[in-house]
Amino acid sequence: MPTKEFEKLKEALRKTPTPEARKEAAVAFRRYRVVQLAKGKGSKPTLVSLGYRKPYPTAVPVDKIAEELERNTSFYEHLREIIGEEE
Amino acid sequence: MLTLPLHDLPTRSASGFLIRYIVPRSIPPQLIGPTDRRQPFRMLAIGDAIIGVGHGSPSEFCGHNNQVILDTKSIPDVKDKVVILISCETAQVLGPALIDAGAASYIGFKKDLVWVCDADLAFTPWSDKMALTVMGPITNCVNTILDGRPVEEGYNAMLEELSRNADVEEDELIKSCIQFNRRNAVLLGNPMARVRARPKITLPLPPPPIILPI
Repeated sequence: MPTKEFEKLKEALRKTPTPEARKEAAVAFRRYRVVQLAKGKGSKPTLVSLGYRKPYPTAVPVDKIAEELERNTSFYEHLREIIGEEE
Repeated sequence: MLTLPLHDLPTRSASGFLIRYIVPRSIPPQLIGPTDRRQPFRMLAIGDAIIGVGHGSPSEFCGHNNQVILDTKSIPDVKDKVVILISCETAQVLGPALIDAGAASYIGFKKDLVWVCDADLAFTPWSDKMALTVMGPITNCVNTILDGRPVEEGYNAMLEELSRNADVEEDELIKSCIQFNRRNAVLLGNPMARVRARPKITLPLPPPPIILPI
């Protein structure tokens, strides 16, 4: 069952990636991470991909995702693709 | 043939699992780290399988330091080979082109291949439990195919294991990555294609740490 914080992040990522929407998504991601960190995970979790010539980094430490969301529209859309769609 | 670049965190993480679980039972050539370049890749295209980790785009697949080793403009002899590209987006154009060029079957991904790994385990990536949620099913797919089983069996085993891992994963970001990869996995060509069965070798100890810098 997704947490309330994760649902808010998904909701924020559904918007058109304006600077305001990206900031909102960054705030939602920070709140979500606070909850996850409380559960405890690896020492330096990093979101990685095997993309080539991408307009976003292929390795983003999870604690830097909020900053990347805020400044990079392509990364916002990348994350939306990953967590925005339901199975 | 195995191509396993090690030049950055994503390639290190993915290649690490194949170094731990696939390399001991595969036969040369194995292009690992700096040897994973275009020239040896094209000269050594022997055997019945090409299993590669690397950065990718719809029409390109890269080796060490993102040198393009395989693209749609110059496909080497892939006739009757099973091709598995652990990479991003190659299922869009390169995968179908490989099948058109005579490959028996192809497994890859139509969008980004994404996962969460622990950067602190870059020297022993096979011990990373977060990355295992995605790389475990992919490694098991390759192992099933190297057992001489039909490609479809390995592919289905990967999908089922990804689903199981997603069901039990508590971290929603990791869970989303697993589900995303599952949605984007692709099998093309003959689902009943097989490679020659390799002997099962289970080493009791993991390999030494990868000392190459990132």
